[in-house]
Amino acid sequence: MRLAIAFALTVAQALAGPAQAGVNEALDDHILPGFERFAGASADLDAAARADCTAPALAVPFHAAFDAWLAVGDLRLGPSETGALAIAFWPDTRGFTEKTLTGLIQQENPIANDPEAFADLSIAGRGLFAIEMLMFDPDFADYGPESYGCALVRALTADLARQAAALERGWAESFAAVLRSAGAADNARFLSEEEAVRAIYTQILAGLQFTIGSRIGRPMGSFERPRPARAEARRSGRSLTNVLGATEASVMLAEALADWPLPETRAALARVRDTAAAIEDPAFADVDDPAARFRLEVLQQAVAAMASSIETEIGARLGLSAGFNAQDGD
Amino acid sequence: MKYSTLATSALALTLAAGAAKAETSAAAVLETYANIAEAGYADSLITARALSDAVDALIAAPSEQTLAAARAAWIAARVPYQQTEVYRFGNPIVDDWEGKVNAWPLDEGLIDYVAGDYVVSDENEFAALNIIANTAFTIAGEEVDASEITPGLLESLHELDGIEANVATGYHAIEFLLWGQDLNGTGSGAGDRPHTDFAGGDACTGGNCGRRAAYLRAATDLLIADLEEMEANWAAGGAAREAAMADEAAGLSAMLTGMGSLSYGELAGERMRLGLMLGDPEEEHDCFSDNTHWSHYYDGLGIQNVYHGRYTRIDGSVVEGASLAELMAQSDPALDADMQARLDATMVALGEISDAAEGGLAYDQMLAMGNAEGEALIMGGVNALIDQTRAIERIVAALDLGGIALEGSNSLDNPGAVFE
Repeated sequence: MRLAIAFALTVAQALAGPAQAGVNEALDDHILPGFERFAGASADLDAAARADCTAPALAVPFHAAFDAWLAVGDLRLGPSETGALAIAFWPDTRGFTEKTLTGLIQQENPIANDPEAFADLSIAGRGLFAIEMLMFDPDFADYGPESYGCALVRALTADLARQAAALERGWAESFAAVLRSAGAADNARFLSEEEAVRAIYTQILAGLQFTIGSRIGRPMGSFERPRPARAEARRSGRSLTNVLGATEASVMLAEALADWPLPETRAALARVRDTAAAIEDPAFADVDDPAARFRLEVLQQAVAAMASSIETEIGARLGLSAGFNAQDGD
Repeated sequence: MKYSTLATSALALTLAAGAAKAETSAAAVLETYANIAEAGYADSLITARALSDAVDALIAAPSEQTLAAARAAWIAARVPYQQTEVYRFGNPIVDDWEGKVNAWPLDEGLIDYVAGDYVVSDENEFAALNIIANTAFTIAGEEVDASEITPGLLESLHELDGIEANVATGYHAIEFLLWGQDLNGTGSGAGDRPHTDFAGGDACTGGNCGRRAAYLRAATDLLIADLEEMEANWAAGGAAREAAMADEAAGLSAMLTGMGSLSYGELAGERMRLGLMLGDPEEEHDCFSDNTHWSHYYDGLGIQNVYHGRYTRIDGSVVEGASLAELMAQSDPALDADMQARLDATMVALGEISDAAEGGLAYDQMLAMGNAEGEALIMGGVNALIDQTRAIERIVAALDLGGIALEGSNSLDNPGAVFE
């Protein structure tokens, strides 16, 4: 039986079908350069924090690092399966980030000066959202250059840069090869090229599902009870930026994966951009206003339509359906 | 590519071995699936009624013995219920109902008193409402009369303000009332509510003992009513059974969706890995009773039951019939063998967690930051569950059920509609 499989796969590889080319392009055009850029931007943020840890000084490199993250941040595959959680712990439905940071600051916990121990800290107290809370939440943001808060910010940026470098390495030096060799006799993770394509395709749709349901859906709440405080990265005013960044990233990944044009998806993305341009508050703080909430709902529908386009232009064409994703639970 | 090759070989094997055994049909597999659900909810109901009797005894005569008996009855009730969780995802009737019964995690301060260091997040203004201590309160400008704690009141307060952590009903609300908060952090020990929290007169501790007893009574009554409803849904002619059996491909898809979603997103992700990465001792499924290891174990067993078409009831009798395993063995014996091996590996890994927990290393201790042994145990379970999810995906692909999920898609039914 094993011989039969190996033979079939060898034939498939010799034919070098379009699916395999898509995996390489997804890696080379989007995923690997994305992690490289994120590692660079995180290192820049850390260098900036070493020079001046205060919040105003870090705004530009913080946003640059978050922008870079969005290109690859919704991937939950390979090293990102666990790694992404410690870089972007959100949604935080029970206030763990605030609780963790408050605890560290009250105790002036020496973990801030111990990089190794810091890597074991709760994910709620690490990553982009912990940095965001320290830099932008009025309860934390006034830390001075000699304060514990300053040391904590530096510990966080160093930890972020270390994590980003580890993710970049994990993808470039290890998992990319696993995806590329899908279907090879010694590849136990992906038994066929189709499985590798499906894995990436699943990530695209899962990322869009997260944008629709959480990035947009959480602040929308219900008509009677909108939830502006639930908007992602609202403290730094990036909620809309994140919706757009994640959506654009999914199209880029889809276009890399498909070696044929995706005109319907492109048109749908243009519509997402148009509807986003109508949104007035980038942090969705105005969602209490029915007109503003309606504009957000229109944006949500536009992203959903784009996901449908990708299902049509990639999934249906390949006869592929998405696999399970991390949001399949509650 | 692989599957067509395998299918050809499999077909030859089936033909060779075939004549002896009648072919397994999807309809028969679905019937077994529905029968196991019916038996699982029936067992959940039987054990919930036993819990109800124990609650009556506790309220009538609070003592260490009656409290211990009620706790034991709760733990016994979890055994069949957790095995039904695999029916949640994929069956909308179950999924829409489940939140009333097994919602987690919860801000328990909604229900009763909590320790001073209980943290209220800014997302939930009712996280410390304390229904038991308050006969009236204001919600969104409206006065709520809580002078009498009834099942109806608890239902109306469940997921209050649209916040899922406001859990007023179900197993975990009852668990909190029987055990109380686990204040041991990542040290050993579960919640330690004294039996006198249900005592009358001067013996009452924690205040409002009568209201606490009324809450426990009402929550237990609700649990029974909810389980009765779900058992009926899977009995002959029940809505969930009919829905699962209506379309063979959709029914098989529901089975596999339940197996995969519980394995991956829910159990491996939300309940196990996330708790580990948060390093928080209360991020365990049964955080008051420290029964988490068994809850995970029986979740895993439920997934295996569905695949094998076999469920051992609480009285030891067996419900079994045509199975997904047999269906797969007909078309792809290698994939079936791989699926079985992965399911077995998960039960070994979840069994190791249970053995360690019963041996004194409770699940919340495994979550402690820097506990390498605990981390390895939990990640062993997580990785096994992820591995079995991959085999489940392969079965979905091999059975070619993928089109099901796309059926409601606007763009496929009418691509132009997207731009209208």
